[in-house]
Amino acid sequence: MVQSKKQKYWFLAFCLVPTFIMFAIFTLYPLFSGLYYSFFDWSGSSSNKEFIGFENYIKLFNDAIIPDTIVHDYFLVATKVIGIMVLAMFFAVALTQLKIKEAPFYRIVFFFPNIMSVVVIGILWTFIYNPSLGLVNSGLEFLGLEEWAKPWIGDEKWALPSLVLPAVWAGIGLFMLMLMGGIANISESYYEAAKIDGASEWQQFWRITLPLVWPQIKVSILYIVITTLNGSFILVQVMTGGGPNNSTHVMGSYLYQQAFRQYNFGYGATIGVMILILSLITVLVLQFLMRREKVEY
Amino acid sequence: MKIQRGFWFLLMLAFVLVFVAACSDDDDQVGSNVGENGEIAGDLEIQYFVGGYGDSWWKEVIADFKAAYPDVNIIEHAGPNINEEMRSRWVSNDPPDVVYIDGAGSSETQMVEDGQLMDLTEWVAGIELEGGDKLSESFIVKPADYDGKVYSLPLVFDTWGTWYDKALFEEKGYNVPTNFDEFMASMSEIKAGEGIEPLVTSGQHPYYFLRGMLYPAFAAAGGEELLADVITGKEGAWSSAEVLEIMKRVEKIVDEGMFDSGLGALNHTQSQMNFLLHENAFVPVGFWLPNEMKNDIPDGFDFGFIPSPMNAADEKYAIVPDLRPLAIAQEAENPAAAKAFVEFVFTREYASSFSEHTGAIMNLNGVDLTQNENVPAYLMEANAMINDPDVVQIYEKPHPMSADLETPIGNALISLMLGNMTAEEFVQKAEKAAADYRAGLK
Repeated sequence: MVQSKKQKYWFLAFCLVPTFIMFAIFTLYPLFSGLYYSFFDWSGSSSNKEFIGFENYIKLFNDAIIPDTIVHDYFLVATKVIGIMVLAMFFAVALTQLKIKEAPFYRIVFFFPNIMSVVVIGILWTFIYNPSLGLVNSGLEFLGLEEWAKPWIGDEKWALPSLVLPAVWAGIGLFMLMLMGGIANISESYYEAAKIDGASEWQQFWRITLPLVWPQIKVSILYIVITTLNGSFILVQVMTGGGPNNSTHVMGSYLYQQAFRQYNFGYGATIGVMILILSLITVLVLQFLMRREKVEY
Repeated sequence: MKIQRGFWFLLMLAFVLVFVAACSDDDDQVGSNVGENGEIAGDLEIQYFVGGYGDSWWKEVIADFKAAYPDVNIIEHAGPNINEEMRSRWVSNDPPDVVYIDGAGSSETQMVEDGQLMDLTEWVAGIELEGGDKLSESFIVKPADYDGKVYSLPLVFDTWGTWYDKALFEEKGYNVPTNFDEFMASMSEIKAGEGIEPLVTSGQHPYYFLRGMLYPAFAAAGGEELLADVITGKEGAWSSAEVLEIMKRVEKIVDEGMFDSGLGALNHTQSQMNFLLHENAFVPVGFWLPNEMKNDIPDGFDFGFIPSPMNAADEKYAIVPDLRPLAIAQEAENPAAAKAFVEFVFTREYASSFSEHTGAIMNLNGVDLTQNENVPAYLMEANAMINDPDVVQIYEKPHPMSADLETPIGNALISLMLGNMTAEEFVQKAEKAAADYRAGLK
């Protein structure tokens, strides 16, 4: 049966309209209302609000904590991208290429943190870092390295680096699976041919594996960057609340503090607009940097 | 085919309708607020936070109120997250009638600034207690004053102080300090005797130390005037000689290694747990500590409470009460029932039962707790001590500190407590924070 034009449109409308309505209600509306509220002085807990033009934006540029939060965010982005990609790649190659018998078991173990809520991960690691009862400090003590023990997330210098470990730990599994999928699609014959030509394992990795899984790597990096810029605040909120003395505040947790703890909802919305703009710029820059011809052999 | 298309269309329509319905206002029709004979009736919505004090006292009072006013239908909004859950109601100008302001996400100051609370100044002047005393003269601490107006009635009288384990102190013969010099001496003894860092507080929430230790110290040194000045961020208050002197005492606690070195990482329950486990000997918290930690108290632990000993040797112990008020919403739909409920709650009988249920004190004077065997021992002792003007001086603060000032000061304070800042640097930062706060108010 040949579909009439009308039928086709009906079908398209059926597919698109509900999604569009959802998208409009849950994405576009909050986006624009966030932009709208950023021009108001509003506590967020009453109906009184006063239009103040760009005052919140002026405050944003004069706020000494904002540059710190941006630096903290990009520190987490950089360390997470490097940490997750290196380890995920290592495990993915190990589990596919080295023919380990227990590979399915490790796959489950590494993926496990991904099915846990970030809040649970945060609480779990708070216990691990606990200054007196925690695993890290007791471990150091056991090894005779007491002088290395410190209150980790309670130390102005060490708190932020301490957040990287749980963030990386929680992220590896998903990207490992993505890379494994990519590696599995590479035809075995390339490796055989390379071996005959005398290429070492290392050369095989650099010349065959890496270029052929580049699309997966690119997607993974973008995904890590976006989720970190938008979501790193959960871990911060649960583990340190941005402290001590703002040393772990990221843009999202500072937004939360301003909007819901200090009752400056309008200013919080302004920080939200900043996060949106910075995320967009970062993604565009990354797209540009990682553009690369698709490799096919 | 036609039928199928119609079906899909209907399904889509249903989708849209569900959304429209979900997003529309629920303008429930409220029944009449006046009964047949003109007595109080209708729905009465009460919002109360449930935290360290539990909710058993509220259940009792509400049940009694129902019995006294059978035509009133009470709707309770209660729980540990109730302030967040009810926020949308306040934002949309559809608040509950009565609100007990306590816990995270609530701020009396903010509610008054936003004009959400009813002006009770005239009404409260006319209320009498069962014995004929005027309610306005029977408060232990007077209602917060906002330019001469009363918007809330302080229901719970709580106060921050310093806790220790009486059993341990008696067994080992440690001294219970009455001023800062004794405090340092006692902590040195404990540090040597127990091999622990004696003082702990929550580094994640530096306001525990600010309200629990510094407010009383400021009050003891400069009276209610200095206390009010630091809370309102008056110019020069934070950089005054008195404040610097007190911050030097904090620096001394840091320099002599009396603070738990891990406190920066601790939230309030972790710090309280450390205290219960004898990892530390002193912790500044309010009266709610024993009730909040009741499931984790080790055998033989005996709570002792003193006003925080940050005062100089020639000053008395100072106490700065912390009040949790009851208020009526400006937009209350049933103000008559709301007023009846608030009046109903403020009795000496309920004050006594409040202490039984919660281990804290209700803000009414003339309540004799000594005859009530259900009141915990620490509370009776604390109550006796607080009411002895030779030992303790009570200082009232004008209202709680705004979060916009408390947050930056707390941040600088934690840096000082971790040893990354000197007292001089701290007062500079705090003065700057106060200047920013004042600029934000304009």
